[in-house]
Formats: sequence, structure tokens, C-alpha cells
Amino acid sequence: MSKVNGKDVPRGLEKGLAGCHVCEKVSPVSLGSCPRCGGRLHLRKPDSVSRTMALVLAAALMYIPANLLPILTTRELGISTESTILEGMIQFWKTGAYPISIVIFTASIMIPMLKIMALLWLCAAAKGLVPHSARLLGKVYWITELLGRWSMVDIFVVAILVAMVQLGNYMIITPGPGALAFAGVVMLTMFAAMSFDPKLLWDQLERDDYALPTKPLSECE
Amino acid sequence: MRTRLSILTWPEPKGGPHHAICHYCDTVHEAKLIAEGSRASCVLCGATLYQNRPASLVRVTSFSLTALLLMLVVHTTPFVNMDAAGLRTELTLPGAAMALIEDGSQLVGMGVALFTIITPLILAGGLFYVCAPLIFGRIAPGAMFVTRWMSRSEPWNMIEVFLLGVLVSLLKLGKVAELHFGIGFWAFAGLMICMAAAVAAIDKRELWDRLEVAKGE
Repeated sequence: MSKVNGKDVPRGLEKGLAGCHVCEKVSPVSLGSCPRCGGRLHLRKPDSVSRTMALVLAAALMYIPANLLPILTTRELGISTESTILEGMIQFWKTGAYPISIVIFTASIMIPMLKIMALLWLCAAAKGLVPHSARLLGKVYWITELLGRWSMVDIFVVAILVAMVQLGNYMIITPGPGALAFAGVVMLTMFAAMSFDPKLLWDQLERDDYALPTKPLSECE
Repeated sequence: MRTRLSILTWPEPKGGPHHAICHYCDTVHEAKLIAEGSRASCVLCGATLYQNRPASLVRVTSFSLTALLLMLVVHTTPFVNMDAAGLRTELTLPGAAMALIEDGSQLVGMGVALFTIITPLILAGGLFYVCAPLIFGRIAPGAMFVTRWMSRSEPWNMIEVFLLGVLVSLLKLGKVAELHFGIGFWAFAGLMICMAAAVAAIDKRELWDRLEVAKGE
């Protein structure tokens, strides 16, 4: 039971009520499946922390080949050059295309790394290993879910360059094995974010008997 | 058949009282109907519980129909033509995915096709198929099945990310070749806006409440 302005507000966990993940209808979890849409009912996403950790570790491992293997090969006048994500970014920087190299750096290097670190932090907090503010980490989770897709931009750039630069003997671009590994990293971190349940952050607070922050009791803005 | 003006109000399903549970902190609220244009937020953590979007069904239907029509244009006209080394190449949306598949990266190519062609089609097609009959208070056959698949595919719609990819590639190629923008590019920009507007036009909770009410009649 949490308190807001001295009033008790019930939590789904105590009342055995679950919100359907598909249609949002709230039903007793004992029904097993949602009476409206048939989706399965859970108080918490099943094995949330273990699944998230497994997917995050898989993504972190795949991040190594994604950065070491070339994502594309350019054959210009018979000479082949392979380039990794980092080399592609450095090339943009050297030719003075600073905004694009910043976009690539943010989407391809910074976001995946921050996402992996954020998910590790969330899992540690959900297990009670680090003290935390559930409200702040809730925001961290929200941003993690929101930004994940944008990392795919480098894969689309490869697809577009491969489709357009087919100039016979003059210049040809082909995709490299790093592209598959990088797409894997992005998809794995997306699945990891989906399997994390932010409600665990608040469960932890209840257990530790933290003072809960209060907000005026208003349902509508 | 009785004509219902379902356009006007978010209907309340039978039974009740209905509840809403916060996705972040698990606080149980009583789900009251709220005025159009307003939002219900969690009393404990402040996260949004649900929103009553104005003219939701009409907006979803028109934006998703426009998106479907723009998809026809996007798939049949080139984004960009490039002149270099005496050759002219063009970029189309299916062409980007096909190029990867033909050049040996089948899995990545299928991913690109899934994120830029199939998912947007499921979303726009599904929203139109489900929401257009709901305007008349009717439920389309299999509407609940379609809606379930729409929510599943929503995170994988990457149209706006692809547009950023087009811009980055063009800035890269603009240095070595002459580029001409095609109709496809502008149609794609319009498609991105219509998809975002269609998805944001109705709350998931409202859509399911309307489906439940229409099914019960």
C-alpha cells in the first residue's frame, strides 16, 4: 500500500489485479487470461530480470563483432576498402561533414552503449542491489524504450548505399558481415527493454520501506 | 440497425467499475471517462494512464487511409535519381531491401523489408480496417485479432528512422554524384507524418473499449 497525501492508494500486486498487456483491461490475475482479448494476465512480466539480463548480455557480446567487422565494402576502380562503423564515422569527420558524423556517433555508438548500461542499471535496481529513485529510473526506462529504434539508422544507410552505388567498374558498394551483427545488437536491446518490467522498481521501494514521494491527488490535467 | 454516433464519445463498456493500472508503479485507479483532449495521469508517479484524443476515429481513419495511398506512391516512384560516371541509378523503398538480399545479406535485407514495408503496412492497413467500421458502431470480422497484431508490430515500425537514413546517405553521395529528388521522397515524408498522426490519434484503451462495445451490440 502506497501513500499519496496521507491517503492509501492500492497496488495491483496487493489486490491480485493485473492490467492486460494487450488491451489494458484490468482483471483479477486468477482468471489466467484476459476476458476481453484473450491475452495472458501477469502481475509482473514473467522472469523479467533474468530475461532482460540474458538479452542484454547477448547484445553486449554481439556489440564486439558489430564494431570489429566491416559493415560495408567499397570497390573503387578495382581497389577494395572495407570500413567498420567507427571508420565510417571518422571518414565523415575528416571530410568536414561534422553534423552527419555526430548523428552516426549518437545513433550507432552512443545509444547502444548507453542502452546496455541503462538496462544493467535497471536490472540491478530491480534486484535491490543499488539504492534508487523509482521515479527517476522509470524515466530512464521510458527513454531507453523510446530511443532504441534510432540505432537502426546505420543499417538503413548501408541498404541505401548498396542499392544506389552500383556503377560497374567505377564504384560498387556491398554489405559486410558487421551489418548483421549490428542489426542483431539493436534488435536484442529492443527485446531486452520490452521484457523489463518497471513495476519491479517500485516493488523494491515498498520492500525497503522508502518514503514515497507525494503528488497532489488529481486524475486529470 | 440502430445508428450510433460513436464518433462523438468514448463509450463505456458494460459492467464496472473499470480500473486502470499504472504501467510504471502498479497503482490501481478507478478509470473514469475524461473530457476530450484531456489526459489521466497516475496519482503516485505521474505517468500517463490514458488520453481521450479528440475526434479519434475520424482522425485515425483519414490518416491511415492517406498513409495507405501514399504507400502506393512510395512503392512505385523513385526517392532519388543519381547521375554518376555516366550511369543513372535510382533508389526505391523495395529496392533498398532487395539490394541487400541480392548482395548476400539476406537476413539484414529481410529486416529492412520488415521495418520499412511490412510493419507500416500492417499498422496503417490494420488501423483503417478496424477503425473505419467502428465509426458506424460496427466491428470488422477478426478486428480483435488484427488489433492485437497491430500493438505487437508498433515498436518495429521504423519509417522515420529510414528517412533519417536517406538524408545521411544523400549527404554522403551528394559529394560524388548529382542527385535529383523524386516524387517518392516527398511521398515518403508525407507517409511518415501520416503514420505518426494515425498511431497517435487514438488511445489503445479507447480502441479496445470501442471494440468491446461494438461487439456487444
